Amino acid sequence: MIKSDNSKIFLVMIFPSLISVILLTFVPILRSFFIAFQNYNFHDLSNIHFIGFENFQAVFNSVNFNFSRILLNTFLWITVSLFFQFVLGFGLALLMKEPFKGRGVYSGLVFYPWALSGFALGLIWAWMFNGQFGIINDVLRKIGLIHQNIGFLSDTRYSLISVIIANIWYGIPFFGIMLLAALQSVPLELYEAAEIDGAGYFIKLFKITIPYIKPTIISTLLLRTIWIMNYPEIIYAMTGGGPANSSNILSVQMINKIIKFLNFGEGAAIGVMIIITMCIYVIIYLKIVSREELTF
Amino acid sequence: MKRLMIVLLSIFLLVSVLSFSALATKVEINFIEAYTNPNRKILLKEIISDFEKLYPNIKINLISPPYEQATQKIVLMLSTKQPLDIVEVKADTIGLYVGNNWLFNLENYLAAWPDSKTLLPAAWQLARTVDDTAYIIPSTVYSRTLYYRTDILEELGVDSIPKSIQELFEVCKEITDSSKDQYGFCFRGKNQQIDNIHYLVLPFLDDLNTTNLYRKTDGKIIWDDPRVVEALKLYVRLFKETSPKDSINWGFNEQINAFGSGITPIILQDADFIGACDETIGRGKFMMAPTPVGPYGKVYVILYFPSLSIASNSKHKEEAWEFIKYFLSPEVNAYYTKNNSLLPIHSVTFEDDPYFSSGIFTPWAYMMKHPEMYVLGQPPVVSPKYAEWMQVSNNDLQSLLLGDISVEKLVNKWVEYWQ
Repeated sequence: MIKSDNSKIFLVMIFPSLISVILLTFVPILRSFFIAFQNYNFHDLSNIHFIGFENFQAVFNSVNFNFSRILLNTFLWITVSLFFQFVLGFGLALLMKEPFKGRGVYSGLVFYPWALSGFALGLIWAWMFNGQFGIINDVLRKIGLIHQNIGFLSDTRYSLISVIIANIWYGIPFFGIMLLAALQSVPLELYEAAEIDGAGYFIKLFKITIPYIKPTIISTLLLRTIWIMNYPEIIYAMTGGGPANSSNILSVQMINKIIKFLNFGEGAAIGVMIIITMCIYVIIYLKIVSREELTF
Repeated sequence: MKRLMIVLLSIFLLVSVLSFSALATKVEINFIEAYTNPNRKILLKEIISDFEKLYPNIKINLISPPYEQATQKIVLMLSTKQPLDIVEVKADTIGLYVGNNWLFNLENYLAAWPDSKTLLPAAWQLARTVDDTAYIIPSTVYSRTLYYRTDILEELGVDSIPKSIQELFEVCKEITDSSKDQYGFCFRGKNQQIDNIHYLVLPFLDDLNTTNLYRKTDGKIIWDDPRVVEALKLYVRLFKETSPKDSINWGFNEQINAFGSGITPIILQDADFIGACDETIGRGKFMMAPTPVGPYGKVYVILYFPSLSIASNSKHKEEAWEFIKYFLSPEVNAYYTKNNSLLPIHSVTFEDDPYFSSGIFTPWAYMMKHPEMYVLGQPPVVSPKYAEWMQVSNNDLQSLLLGDISVEKLVNKWVEYWQ
């Protein structure tokens, strides 16, 4: 229990941060909730008024942008990206755990994607996947896997998986860094004891390593799910959500509504849907895992 | 006494300096551009510097947001009444800005400006796009023309540049050989694909309302006209039989790459393509030709017109107008457009300087001399639906080219959109 004098100091110390968070985060979110129920369109700013759920209906029933397709794309974008980012990031962390010559330099190179801006990364991958000049087509042809170039970003069959591949590459370093730090905190005595009992690599991995770093796994999965959901830069730079809506997700559509259509009402409605979805996900996620296993 | 004199003299000097400073106070005006690119910015700063030497009491702050975000930046600044004086306006945003009362009516200024008498009739028409009132003044006008690689077409044995859309298709098909990675037409499928439709589909009608090209002269919507359906089918063939499949995801940069590499040696593009070509392949390897016409021997030319205007909440309208007059004067406008490979807005410039009727400007000069073939027109850019239309039409056209929807379904959807 914090003593009364200390609690006053505590409040004074956190007051500036608290005000910043409220003003820069909660006030805009609250404002967005209001705008989601208004006809806030830049083409007619003199006529803003409450319109109930019309923005939500317009988004759900849009004949121009298939909403169910956008929802499916969003689900695949999150689940596939998250799965491979985690598996490959964990594998990378396991490999990096053991010291080797040049590990420091290698770490810097491997973790480099995390330092890039999403938009720049999207542009790089867009050129790599280019159907005429892209290096990926060039390599696949040279090793004989394909005989004709594939339009990765121009074919609706491949556009979504192409942007997901770029996203996986981007997110591996995050899991690599976080899980490597967690792995390095596992006491070596546990492994020694297990070896004495005859435990092999995979038994040590599943019985010691993973249970010990479970809190880190849980927290990183939670954070990364939220970030992936709200991360439109790669898709925006690579395909813009096309061709023909095939790689469009909720956050990209929200940005299009605001930046291209200047329809803040519908954009805010999509934003509200994203927030509510994330809140429901976090509540369910926290219920499934016990609270004391979480560390931040 | 001596000390008193020194004190009085000091006070007198101090008051004099302060008074002089007050009289010589500079007026600072903010000018935001909407077509930012590095070369253009250098040119603008040069012109601004020359202006400031002539008007030492006016200082101009040039705000240069990145091209893709310029409209959003300008909308944000105007809507929140941030200090803006001179605003560069894109054609598709005039309706938005005027509708929100963000731009100042320039009619009185124009009436008192002697150089306005030599403005091209097209410049006057475009200045009065909204409500038949001049809220803007174009700084240049240009339209899409046909660009072609002279060296590549010569290698491929093409000796005649297409004059019609049908000829364009035939020439592009003739030179296309996908096994050799050689194609004909440089498509742009990622965004603004509707511009292709304006130049490759609309010319198949001869009865369009030139103030709203999506309506015929009898008021009916154009999209379900049988001629549009046929034109769209040819458009699909142009993509499938003469362009790389990947071009459905091509934007401006990919087009520069494809044209520069010679994979697609024929393209319909704007004047800003000239600078990109000069940088990548050099002036000697490409040429321009008049925009191909439709079966009625004409094409509807949509002029693009970057324009200048004054923000309605500007506190320095007079000073802003002084700069606009200077920038758009025949001499400065000729210098600006010559260094930008664009067309000037004064008739005297064309008369006095043969530069604007020769070389790469030859097709434009030809088009201006034949208004019966190259008919000026505008899509409904001032409609509130137009902003979303760019994205909606792009999405639908991608679906069409990918075979996800038929031409008939597309046109029915577009008729419903514009009802």
